[in-house]
Amino acid sequence: MTIHINSWRIIVAAWKHFVRNIWLSLTTVFVLFLAILSVNVLVGVNALLMNAVSLLENKVDVSVYFKADTAQGVLDQAKFFVMGLPQVRSAELVSADQALDAFKKRHAGDDTTLSALNEIDGNPLGATLIVKAKRTSDYTFLLEALQNPQFNFAIESKNFESHEDAIQRVRLIGQSVRSFGVGLIAVFAAFSVLIVFNTIRVAIYTQREEIGVMRLVGASNAFVRWPFVIEGLFLAGLALFAATAIVAVSVTWLEPHINPFFDGQAGLVEYFMVHAQQLLLIQGLGLGVLVALSSWAAVGRYLKK
Amino acid sequence: MIFLEHVSKMYPPDVHGLRDISLHIQPGEFVSIVGQSGAGKTTLAKMLIAEERATRGKVTIGGWDITHIKNRDVPFLRRQIGVVFQDFKLLAQKTVYENVAFALEVAGITGKRIREVVPQVLKIVGLEEKAYRFPRQISGGEQQRVVIARALVHRPKILLADEPTGNLDTINTREIIELLQKINSFGTTIVLVTHNREVVNSLRRRVITLGQGKVVSDHAEGKYLLPT
Repeated sequence: MTIHINSWRIIVAAWKHFVRNIWLSLTTVFVLFLAILSVNVLVGVNALLMNAVSLLENKVDVSVYFKADTAQGVLDQAKFFVMGLPQVRSAELVSADQALDAFKKRHAGDDTTLSALNEIDGNPLGATLIVKAKRTSDYTFLLEALQNPQFNFAIESKNFESHEDAIQRVRLIGQSVRSFGVGLIAVFAAFSVLIVFNTIRVAIYTQREEIGVMRLVGASNAFVRWPFVIEGLFLAGLALFAATAIVAVSVTWLEPHINPFFDGQAGLVEYFMVHAQQLLLIQGLGLGVLVALSSWAAVGRYLKK
Repeated sequence: MIFLEHVSKMYPPDVHGLRDISLHIQPGEFVSIVGQSGAGKTTLAKMLIAEERATRGKVTIGGWDITHIKNRDVPFLRRQIGVVFQDFKLLAQKTVYENVAFALEVAGITGKRIREVVPQVLKIVGLEEKAYRFPRQISGGEQQRVVIARALVHRPKILLADEPTGNLDTINTREIIELLQKINSFGTTIVLVTHNREVVNSLRRRVITLGQGKVVSDHAEGKYLLPT
């Protein structure tokens, strides 16, 4: 009964304290809100960078140009061999006729090129095999695998060399973005921890005399401490709610504006929707534990006196 | 009611707060503890509510040896002794009613009982009309009466008043002292720590004079002795 009465009184005391110190409460909420927001901004930026890297990786492929008179059997054999490799995500065989059509479309307004093409008897273009790997790190292996003597003789040219550099660069950018993003989030989280801890400490410092009075009239340490901890959790909940709302609105507004830079699919809304539960859980738990521990420790300092 | 046996208090490195003090205060007494600043009055008062611990000797209150009281037992001691301070020590964010009720809430008293007791105590100190004001909205004398109400709410056997009139004018001082006398007439032991000569002399009750941490005099119907 006493525990029940006291628990209820602690919650009511925390709420009254929150309301009666509304400006201090709102200031603390604002600082907590900024801390969560900064972490979310970094999470969003990281998601965009990852998407950009992924788009770049998708654009990378290896094109193998065959000689114009290569037999269909050799072409099929090359495609069959490539598709059989576990590192290959897709392989598309563009026939000589399709290559010619594509060339004509590309140069539709260019009369000089088209008339030069007409001068040549027949189709000068050969078939092309466009191969995409599952991971950019697989391209080095693919380049070697394409040296297969079963069809190597029919290969006119390859764009291996030019892609090799691009592939390496994209791979490095991807790795850097991942490590930098994770590192930056970790640093911001650490700053947030310090800011939140000190904000709570300052908030409780302003109430140190009140804590002394509570003890003088016979309040147990728990009765003094818990309202501050519960109040801290109120503040954390409010900050999380406000930050979530702002992030949701901002991301929804931002998405159509940045879509053109990501081939029409920035994926920011989708990223936050898919990871919403995980993000809320981590941020809510993290902030809750941080605020509760900070309040606990900060009040404890005045309970020892 | 209150026993002090050869009590000394030393602050590092070598400052003596109290030196070998022995006292016995009977139930229902009204005792004034007087002395100049630094005489040890406040140290003695703090020792009675376990805010300070004796370096040597023994402190017993109502048969409870509190010399080495554990921190977790201190709240229980403080619920047995009503305390009134010069600087009021009210909770600024709570109303008059809530300040008084808080002393009962911390002891786990039911809401029904609190709603019965608090108005009664506020009536005794004459503040039933100002129950829902905040401390900043009432005068110094009224704030001190709230503190007395808060101290009384547990029906303590002892009321310790440390310079309760230090911040008050003459009229409010007289009202507070009359209130303390009224409370004493109900059987509560009053320990009044003060340096107000007029108050002490007008009471004509027991006066213990401290000087340099020692008991200089202890008279049953004493007066405030001027320092020699």
